[in-house]
Amino acid sequence: MATPTDEQIIDELGLRRERARSIYDHPNLIRAASVLCFLALWEVYGRRSDPLLLTYPTAVFWAAIQLIRTGELLRQAAVSLATLGVGFGVSIALGVGLGLLTGRSRVAEAVLDPHLNALYATPQVALTPLLMMWLGLGFAVKVVIIFLFAFFPILINTTSGVKNVSASLVEVGHAYLASERQILFKVVFPAALPFIMAGIRLAVGRALVGMVVAELFTAITGLGAMLTLYGNLFETAKMFVVIVVFGLLGVGLIRATQALETRMARWKETERANR
Amino acid sequence: MALNALEQQALTDLDLSRARPFRLADRLGAVRVLSVGLLILAWEIFGRDVNPLFLSYPSAIARATMQLLTAGEFQRQALGSLQVYAIGLSAALLLGIALGLLMGRYRLAEYILDPYVYALDATPRVALIPLLLLWFGLGPMSKIAIVFLSGLFPVLMNTFSGVRTVSASLVEVGRAYGAGERNIFAKIILPASLPFIMAGIRLAVGRALIGIITAEMFAAVTGLGALLIRYSSALATDKFFVPVIFLAVLGVILSHAVELWEKRLAPWKETERAL
Repeated sequence: MATPTDEQIIDELGLRRERARSIYDHPNLIRAASVLCFLALWEVYGRRSDPLLLTYPTAVFWAAIQLIRTGELLRQAAVSLATLGVGFGVSIALGVGLGLLTGRSRVAEAVLDPHLNALYATPQVALTPLLMMWLGLGFAVKVVIIFLFAFFPILINTTSGVKNVSASLVEVGHAYLASERQILFKVVFPAALPFIMAGIRLAVGRALVGMVVAELFTAITGLGAMLTLYGNLFETAKMFVVIVVFGLLGVGLIRATQALETRMARWKETERANR
Repeated sequence: MALNALEQQALTDLDLSRARPFRLADRLGAVRVLSVGLLILAWEIFGRDVNPLFLSYPSAIARATMQLLTAGEFQRQALGSLQVYAIGLSAALLLGIALGLLMGRYRLAEYILDPYVYALDATPRVALIPLLLLWFGLGPMSKIAIVFLSGLFPVLMNTFSGVRTVSASLVEVGRAYGAGERNIFAKIILPASLPFIMAGIRLAVGRALIGIITAEMFAAVTGLGALLIRYSSALATDKFFVPVIFLAVLGVILSHAVELWEKRLAPWKETERAL
């Protein structure tokens, strides 16, 4: 007698072929329901409470439309993003540059790292009043604050990336008479790139925090200044618009750097998979 | 290292020196000390020439420290800040771990909560300071709230991913031996995700410190942040450096303390990695 196939056994025992339906099959449905419930509750409760303290979703929506129409939101966002771009660019350039130096040369590391460690340990916000005293309230002070926030993760990751470069790679370079410059750019830098990109990913969130802090305290231009302004005017709906914009910026920037990381440091994953 | 007679002979014949040539890289400790010493010395010399409204110098800062400590003002404000910090951080740890366990273990809780968690995690928490001041006033409550929010997300996210990486076979063995849900939580999931939780706490400690200083600087009424604003507005740069240095030292002590605690509570993480 032939052994029954799986199919026959299933038919014979009258087993159901489909999995039982479960609420977990559509996680996004649960998420949507959760968000909708929250927004509905907020709308109902928010309309009944003091508009100076709490607003409600539709009011936030109309405030957003109004701020976009007058062009204020876009103008201030452009100012903020310009400072963020410059500050972050400087942190990447200096962070990677100094990181390569301190990672390659032990003497440079010994000279620099007591100072860098001390500066890193200090909560950078605490330095903002001093920087404002030195540099005023303009563009420069914001760039420096963003730089201080974003610089250290990049520096630290670059240094440890460079130190982690396998010595045999560098030795092969030496054996083929590569100059120090070639070793730096053709061996060390590409090998440390996954670490550097991880540092940049960490730094982007901190740069955003730096931007908000700088703008909250200088309070003249940018999204942070809008936050302070509408806070002082008790226009809660407009404050929420700015907070939502910050949230979207945060998500967007982190996603973008993650995408960049997988593009630029692709071999990191492959190398790990091969082991 | 002992050399045999033949080797001794060869050394003297070839007139080789036994001592290694002098290299800076062999004296890294000295380089470090020299680097810090030179900076302090240069600061002292040049700092005296600069207008004291903009830059102070080390001996003036030491004098200001003594003055503030004898007046007792500094200790009072520092104590106030630390109390708020401790309360907010404890609340963040408790709730962060609890919610992280819940979201990691139950998919329904995950799907209901994760839209909010991801959104709030991406929003720079400092942006919420004006709103929290509006809601809770200038007293300790708003500061506790910002410390709580700054510390909550690193702990929550790390606990969540820790619970998700607990190997399913561990839980299945527990089930097979008839462990209840409570035992599985307390004896399997919690210990297995502890290294992740501790890493989250380490992040949270630093973020919460930034949170409280920013909040105190913004409200400028009590605490170390308010001292920073007061001294910088009064252009008393020597006094301004006292809280800055205190915060740097505090940052170092806190992160070392958490690291020690981490090694005590979750020592297996390191061994596992070494294997």
